[in-house]
Amino acid sequence: MAAVVSTDTVKVTINGVEIEVPKGELIVESVKRLGLEIPIFCYHPRMKPVGMCRMCLVEVGFKQPDGSVRMMPKPQAGCTLPASDNMVVLTDTEAIHRDRKGVLEFLLINHPLDCPICDRGGECPLQNNTLSYGPSTSRFIEMKRHAHKAFPLSQYVTLDLERCIQCGRCVRFTEEISGDSQLAFRFRGASMQPATYQLTDFESKFSGNVIEICPVGALTNAKYRFRARPWDLETKPGICTVTPCGTNVWFDYRAGKFIRLNGRTNEEVNEEWTADRTKFGHDFYNSPNRLKAPNLRTETGFKGAGWSDVYAEILAHFEGKGSEVGVITEANLSNEDLFMLQKLFRKGFASQNIDHRLSGGWQSFEERLENKLGLNTVQTTIAELENVPASLVFATSLADEQPMTFLRLRKGWFQNGTKVISATSHPTEVDQFAHVILRYKPGTEARLAAGLAHASGAALEGLEKFNPEATEQATGVPANLIREAGEILREAGARILTTHSLLTTSEGSVACEILAGLAHKAGHKFSCLGLKANTAGAKELGLLPDTLPGGIKNSNPGKDTRQMLEDAARGKLKALWLVNCDPLTDFPDRDLAEKALENVEFLVVQHHQAIEACEYASVVLPMTLPAEQDGTFTSSERRVQRMAPVLSAPGEAKASWRIFAELLLRIQPSTPPFGPKDVMEEISREVPTFAGVNYGALDGPGVLIAQPELGEPNLNSLGGTLSKV
Amino acid sequence: MSFEVLRDVAKPIIAGFGITARRLASEKVTIQYPEERREQFVRTRWRHVLTRYDSGLERCIGCSLCAGACPARCIYVQAAENTNEDRRSPGERYAERYEINMLRCIFCGYCQEACPTGAIVLRKDFELANYEREDFIYTKEMLLEPIRR
Repeated sequence: MAAVVSTDTVKVTINGVEIEVPKGELIVESVKRLGLEIPIFCYHPRMKPVGMCRMCLVEVGFKQPDGSVRMMPKPQAGCTLPASDNMVVLTDTEAIHRDRKGVLEFLLINHPLDCPICDRGGECPLQNNTLSYGPSTSRFIEMKRHAHKAFPLSQYVTLDLERCIQCGRCVRFTEEISGDSQLAFRFRGASMQPATYQLTDFESKFSGNVIEICPVGALTNAKYRFRARPWDLETKPGICTVTPCGTNVWFDYRAGKFIRLNGRTNEEVNEEWTADRTKFGHDFYNSPNRLKAPNLRTETGFKGAGWSDVYAEILAHFEGKGSEVGVITEANLSNEDLFMLQKLFRKGFASQNIDHRLSGGWQSFEERLENKLGLNTVQTTIAELENVPASLVFATSLADEQPMTFLRLRKGWFQNGTKVISATSHPTEVDQFAHVILRYKPGTEARLAAGLAHASGAALEGLEKFNPEATEQATGVPANLIREAGEILREAGARILTTHSLLTTSEGSVACEILAGLAHKAGHKFSCLGLKANTAGAKELGLLPDTLPGGIKNSNPGKDTRQMLEDAARGKLKALWLVNCDPLTDFPDRDLAEKALENVEFLVVQHHQAIEACEYASVVLPMTLPAEQDGTFTSSERRVQRMAPVLSAPGEAKASWRIFAELLLRIQPSTPPFGPKDVMEEISREVPTFAGVNYGALDGPGVLIAQPELGEPNLNSLGGTLSKV
Repeated sequence: MSFEVLRDVAKPIIAGFGITARRLASEKVTIQYPEERREQFVRTRWRHVLTRYDSGLERCIGCSLCAGACPARCIYVQAAENTNEDRRSPGERYAERYEINMLRCIFCGYCQEACPTGAIVLRKDFELANYEREDFIYTKEMLLEPIRR
C-alpha cells in the first residue's frame, strides 16, 4: 500500500474503537481495517494520494495528556492524512454527512445526468456515492457545462469531458504506473480537462486501465461502447491467453457471447492491471470465421463430416507411419492439451516430430541453458521485481512482450529506486526510466553481453578481449556507459531479463549463455522468458522433438519445425498436423511454408477459426478456445493458473485434449481421461516439476512449478563459446 | 302429475324465470365481446408500446433499465450508437433490438416505472393470444408506435 513507511505501529481511535495501525498509514486505509468505508473518488490504493476530490473528509482530533480530545476546527481529507499516535477519527458525524452532501452537490453541478446512456451507469462510483451519501434532489437550475461528447482519445478509449470530475486518476496512472505520461490536465478551475499534451492520440500499451479506474463515465471503452449494461452481464474469472504473463481477468459475457475483459486482482501477477493486448486482444472469441464442424476435403471441395469419419481418415494417414508424420503447434494451448498432444504422437503414432516453436529460436537439447551450463532459464518471478537493487533488460521490448513484468519493474523503480539498465537495439518504454541506456547495433548481442560481464568484473573465462573500448567498437555502445552499467551490476541481487525473441537473433543463444553465466557468478538472477501464454508449459511437457516431458533427453530425436517444413516441401514428410498455428503467417520463411503445405500429402489443420492454411488442408478440425474449455496455463514465470470454462463452444468444436484423447483411445484401448483434471493428475505423476499441481491447489494466485533439478552448474564450456564470438 | 313433481321441478323453474323476468327491467352487465368493448380503467396495464416524440424520434435510448427492473427478466435490449445520417432517437444511443417475451411478462409495469424517458408504456390492448410460442416474442418493430402523421 502506498505511503506505509515503517513497521512501527500507532494507536488511533476510529469512531470510538481503538486500533493499532502502522505509523504513517493513510486514514482512508486504516478505516478499512474496521470494516468501515470512506467514500472516495481520487484516492487509489496503488497510487500516490492527491486529495483532489475532497470526498473522503473526516473529523480529526488528538487525545490530550489530560484525557480530553481536541478536535481540529475543520474536517480533513482522509486520503492524505497519515495515522499518528493518539489520533481520534470520526467518520460518521452529522457534520461529515453534511460535508459529503456538499461535496457531491458541487461535483454534480457540472456532471451531466445522462446515466441511462452512460457505459459506466450501474458500476459507477459517482452513482453509488451519490445514492449513499449525496443529496436526493438538485438545487441547481442553471446551465451545465457543455463539452465534446464521445471524443475518441485513442482507438480504445473514448473521452466524455462533460462527465469528468477532475479526480486525476487517469493522469496519475499514466505518470505513476504505466509511465508513458501521456495524459495531463489542461486549463484550470471548472474548465480543467484531462487530455494528451499536444492533443495527439493517447498512445499507451496500458491505456485500458484508465477506463477501469475512472470513477465516472468520462473515460469509456470504445470497443464496449453501448454493447451492454453492467446488469446485463454475467462474469467469470479467467486468465489472459494472449500475453505470456498469465494476467488475471474477468470475462464478462452476455447471452453466451463474450463482451469485455476487466482486470482481476492477483498481487503475485498483475496486481489489478491489464495490458491493452489483454484487454482488447480477445476479439477472436466473436470472430465470424469460427470453425464449427469438422471438414474433409473431397474432389469437389470441403465437405462437412462427422468426427468419427474424420478420425478414421486421420488414423489412416498417421497411424504406424512413425517418423513420416509430424505436428507443429503453438504454445497457447493449455497444459492438458499439450500433454495429450505429445502423448498421442509419441505413444500413438510413434513419431518424435513434435515442435511448438514456430518463429525461430530452435535451440537443440544440448544448446539449452539447463543442459549446457546447468542453469535454469527462468529464475525470477514477477512479484520479486518490486524489491531488487538493479535490473538489466536485455534485447526485448518488455512492455510489448512481457507487459506485467514491465509494470512490476517500473513499480520497483518508482517506489523502491531499482536501477534499471536498458540494453536494446531500438528505443523501448524501459528507456524512460532507465538509469543507463545501452543502444547497440542489431546483431551484436553476444558481444555486448560479454562487454557487460567484463565491466561488472564477473569471474568468467575468456572475457579479456571484451574490455569496454573493444565492446564500443563492436556494438556502438559508448565505453563509459558500459562501465556505468558494469558498476551497477557489481552489486549482487540484480535481475537480468530477456525473452525468447533474443534467441531468434544471430548471436542470441550465446548472449543468453553469457548473461546466465554472469548472473550465476555475480549473484544475480537470470530469466529468458517465453512469448506465448504457455511457452513454459510446452517446454516442460516435452513439446520438443529432442526433449521428453520433464526435460529428459530424447534418445531418438525428431525434427524441429524448420526441418519438418523442409521435409514436407521435399515430399519426405507424408502427413503434417498444424495445431492452432499458421506457418504461412507466423513462420519466418513464407516461401518454405507455402511449399511445405503444397507438397505434404495429408495436412490436418486444427484451429478455432478459418485461417489461410485451411486452403491447403485435407482435414479441418474445429477446436475450442481457452475460455470455452477447462484447462491450466503455465505463465512465463512458471506459474500454473486455471482457466475454467466461461463460454460454450460453437457448433461441434471440441477441446484439443479431447480430440487427442479420443484418437489415442482408437489406437490403444485404455481408460481415457474423463476431463482435464485427470490429465493434470497424469501430468503431476509423470512430470517431476509439476508434482503437487492439481486442480484443488489452483484457486487463489496459482502455483509456481518447481525448478528442474540440474545438479552443479558447469560454466566450463562458456570460455570456448566466448572465444568464438 | 303428482304433488312432488310440481313442488320439486316446476316450482323452482317458475321461481328461476321469475328472477330473470324481474332482472329484464334493470341495466345489462354483460357485453357482446368482441363486437362490443368495455372501456378500461385508466391505469390498466396490458401490452407494451414503445412511444415516440412528436418529432417522430423514438423515445427509447436503449438504456436497458427496463430489463434491469424486470422481475421476470423478459426484456432484452441491445443498444447502438446514433449517427447524424441515421438518427433514431435524440442523443447518442438508441435501441437496436428491443424484445419482450410476453409469455414471461407478468405485466407489473416496473419497466414503465424505470424508464427514464417514458418510452415504454403499458397500454390497454389485452388481446395477446397466439398460436406459436415464438410469436410471443415481441420485437421492436411490433412494439414501436407508428409515426403519427
